[in-house]
Amino acid sequence: MHSGGAISIHPIILNGESLTLESIEAVALGQCIVELCPLAKEKMLQSYQWVQDVCKTNKPVYGVNTGFGSLARVSIPPSKSSQLSTNLIRSHAAGVGPIADLQTTRTMVLLRANALAKGVSGCRPLLVENLLHLLNVNILPKIPMQGSCGSSGDLAPLAHLGLMLIGDPLGEAMVVEDSGELSYLDAPTALKKAGIAPLILEAKDGLAITNGAQLSTAIATLNIIEGKRLLLAGELAASMSMEALLGISRAFHPAVHNMRPYLGAKQCAYNIRRLTKGSTLMDSVPEKLQDAYSIRCTPQVLGAVRDMIRFVESQISVEWNSATDNPLILLDVHDASQGDPENKAFSAGMFHGEPIGMAMDSFKIAVSELANLSERRQYRLTTGNLSQLLPPGLVGKDRPAIGMIVPQTTAAALVSENKALAWPASVDSIPTCEDQEDHIAMSTVAARRARDVLHNATKVVAIELMSAAHALSFRLDERPDAQLGIGVSHGVSNVRKCLAESSSPFSTIGEQIEAIAERIQNGDMLHNLPHLLDPSDSCTPDGEAL
Amino acid sequence: MNWPFNKATDLQIETIHINSTPFTCEMLGSVAQGAPIELDAAIIELMNQNAESTPANSHILASKRHWLTGDPSQSGKNLCQSFILGHCAGVGTPFSEEIVRGAMMARVKVLSSGFTGSRGIVAEKLAEMLNLGITPVVPSQGSVGAAGDLAPMSYIARTLCGYDGKQRENFSPLIPTDKEALALINGISLSASIAALAVLKAERIFNAALWAAGLTMEVVRAQSQCLDERALRSRRHPEVEEVGVILRTLLADSQRVLDTNKPDAFSIRATPSVMGAIWRTIRFAKEEVERELNGVSDNPLLFDGEWIEAGNFHGASIGLAMDHLATALTQLATLSERRTFRMTHGKLSNNLPSFLVEGTGLNSGFMLAQYTAAALASECKGLAHPASADSIPTVQHHEDHVSMSPIAARKTLQITECLADIIAIELLVGAQALDLRKKEDNHTTPIHLHELHAQIREDVPFWQDDGVLHPAIRSLSVMVRNGLPTIY
Repeated sequence: MHSGGAISIHPIILNGESLTLESIEAVALGQCIVELCPLAKEKMLQSYQWVQDVCKTNKPVYGVNTGFGSLARVSIPPSKSSQLSTNLIRSHAAGVGPIADLQTTRTMVLLRANALAKGVSGCRPLLVENLLHLLNVNILPKIPMQGSCGSSGDLAPLAHLGLMLIGDPLGEAMVVEDSGELSYLDAPTALKKAGIAPLILEAKDGLAITNGAQLSTAIATLNIIEGKRLLLAGELAASMSMEALLGISRAFHPAVHNMRPYLGAKQCAYNIRRLTKGSTLMDSVPEKLQDAYSIRCTPQVLGAVRDMIRFVESQISVEWNSATDNPLILLDVHDASQGDPENKAFSAGMFHGEPIGMAMDSFKIAVSELANLSERRQYRLTTGNLSQLLPPGLVGKDRPAIGMIVPQTTAAALVSENKALAWPASVDSIPTCEDQEDHIAMSTVAARRARDVLHNATKVVAIELMSAAHALSFRLDERPDAQLGIGVSHGVSNVRKCLAESSSPFSTIGEQIEAIAERIQNGDMLHNLPHLLDPSDSCTPDGEAL
Repeated sequence: MNWPFNKATDLQIETIHINSTPFTCEMLGSVAQGAPIELDAAIIELMNQNAESTPANSHILASKRHWLTGDPSQSGKNLCQSFILGHCAGVGTPFSEEIVRGAMMARVKVLSSGFTGSRGIVAEKLAEMLNLGITPVVPSQGSVGAAGDLAPMSYIARTLCGYDGKQRENFSPLIPTDKEALALINGISLSASIAALAVLKAERIFNAALWAAGLTMEVVRAQSQCLDERALRSRRHPEVEEVGVILRTLLADSQRVLDTNKPDAFSIRATPSVMGAIWRTIRFAKEEVERELNGVSDNPLLFDGEWIEAGNFHGASIGLAMDHLATALTQLATLSERRTFRMTHGKLSNNLPSFLVEGTGLNSGFMLAQYTAAALASECKGLAHPASADSIPTVQHHEDHVSMSPIAARKTLQITECLADIIAIELLVGAQALDLRKKEDNHTTPIHLHELHAQIREDVPFWQDDGVLHPAIRSLSVMVRNGLPTIY
């Protein structure tokens, strides 16, 4: 994604109900400031007051005046509730491994703040205000990404956020230097630099900070943003290869797809029709009756990928505006079937990362398939007897020294890596916490692996874009009067522009592939294309029925 | 054994001599960490003699790979340059310097066989790069491990031959013949390097895991019959017996282990069987890697003045060995995690307090240490998916079965990273449990475990109340990676 960018004059107002993919992306990129909605603040104060009142009684409420996990059996006196929260944060900061990048961390902090802004977690507005302040001054916690099981939430990663909020000397933070590099500070220094006082925790604050799968959700959200762009780039690459291989358009006819009306397939076929519209290369080999699967079945495969990404987004979008901690303080409920009607604390399992983990496992299977299909088309483009007489390996002047055979091998290695990464993390579960937390989500592992799959797949599609652009220039040499499809012709210019801008006499093919991949990731590769593409559920950008 | 012990500082940094004696993973490890190398004169002479016996007019690249370069009339420098640069199609995060140096070393060893038809100068120039500390940047993704690690090795060749456009004051690039350009990249030296380093890490972590197992058995008051010499010998796996000897050594004179007929759970009782099988796999993997390091992976090969075309560049042996090692190390991860679970579980630990702190409730103690171990063990399960079970046809049907060996090796190395943290957690939790036992029973701790405990306490304190786990895990993880003394 693009980093930095202009700060919007419109702040995002958090109320726990209204985050969207667009607003999350804007905050992730640091393009706007974030404020807490006054009404949400009011609601937070009410639930906070309820927790404070309960503390003065001897009614047991999980995590407020009891221990955590299997230690819920132990009661804690009100005088110790602040220490209980502080201990929770300190003892749970058990993360290891690589550090989350800035965008992921910003997204995680935003999502945690939004969950608390719903006003059902029993914590003070100050907690959210401090989180938003850190976002607005861009000084953020250093979050190790390994060691979270995703239930009860991303405990360890969020506890590292907590260490920073309380200014613990063992907490760490990151700041962006003027050079754009990240540097690390201890938490007390970071808070001073951010201009806020260390938070003295109160009852339930520890749980409010840690109980939810926000690291998993943050990674998942960034995956969706980039995954949707990759899907369009994948359709573009498929259309470019299709023209270079002199494909047959009948496979994409709307009548065909109405006979098996998967929405994703219909949208994909529509996009291919739009991208290849006006092409004189398509259908130019009359004796050919049908293409190989990697061409002909593109709508079936990429359509299924589309449907899956849509489903994944619908799942993750629920999480953006959800309360995820335990217990929830639901002041409006008066009809609890059992027990004390005055007990507004509902212990449940809202922190469980399963919906995110399963969605991310599905996402990475879908994205692996997108890349698998692309790799097979590259194989056809570079293989003499499969490519409608393109030069073997696409070797020739003005192309990489030995053509595109080695990049196809790179693509094969990348899709093979994806097969191992696509192994579903959420099918595993290991009992934790004295068997009290006996089924866990592994959502963080799923989301992180999905990110690796996505990055590998992006490079695979980058190689296809490059190969197809080379192949099309051979076709244009061979048939100077040929017309490219309207979208394909934009695609070819975008690839050429990227190669021209990113190549130096000593740059390697690997660096060129990376440059194209970066432009897929940030959307530049789709320059001039979105208005052609991406029909909605029922109608197309030009208003026709899909 | 002498404490304090830090194997990392004991690593050999003396010059490694390349001659006809067997080359080991340890030698590769030393060079990877910065040791210089010296090629014996006899090796150079052999290489030069063989290079002179090359059949006349053998334009290997022009004849073998004209379909790659498009233009059969190209020859000499341009051809070599196009060939090498054409293979620089790697992507992703660069490899560590250690891995790249290991790959350069492994390639020197292949060239030094003389069968690649390269002149002595080729090995000497690579050695010069190693000795000057010139380490090319090599992207980590993009090799399928057949015909060799073409893409990554090309980045090394690119620097060696000066095709990267950089002028180096103290290093003049090699001008390769066409066969030399091919010989520099047509083998799985990169996979071999990662594999050798993974084996060395696995050995060190396995040794630390033996210590951890002994400590855990002491603190959960294991029953000692599961270490009975006769029982273990009857299994007829030598490594199972060896694990038994080591655990008996660690637990010698223990006043805490019990001798009753009440069997323990499998993560305790079956430790010799499980860790013995893992040890066997580590040894097998090492044997495979050392065969590879002493073998010739290149094509074609020169014998008696004649080029022989074979498939010696294929990475199947390293791929399979690494996938096997990955599975074994994952089993070690799951075993250790269960022992950590047991120690933190109030009802499974022979009366240790829940989560190993007094005053639980207000304190959560070591609760999260086990979560972290569980999450890491789960990651290992995913990483253990065998890379060599896959193959994808490449290069126009020509390279139609490939090994995926570098992927297998990289995943195994990643597993060692997770595993070091998992074993660190078992040691951390075990040390806390030992302190709690000491308070309750006044028993003497067996000498080796006492020394281990003292060593751990130099880095991390006993927790009376909750502390922060992250730095504690990190320091013991460093201790595990650096290595504990071997127990014989």
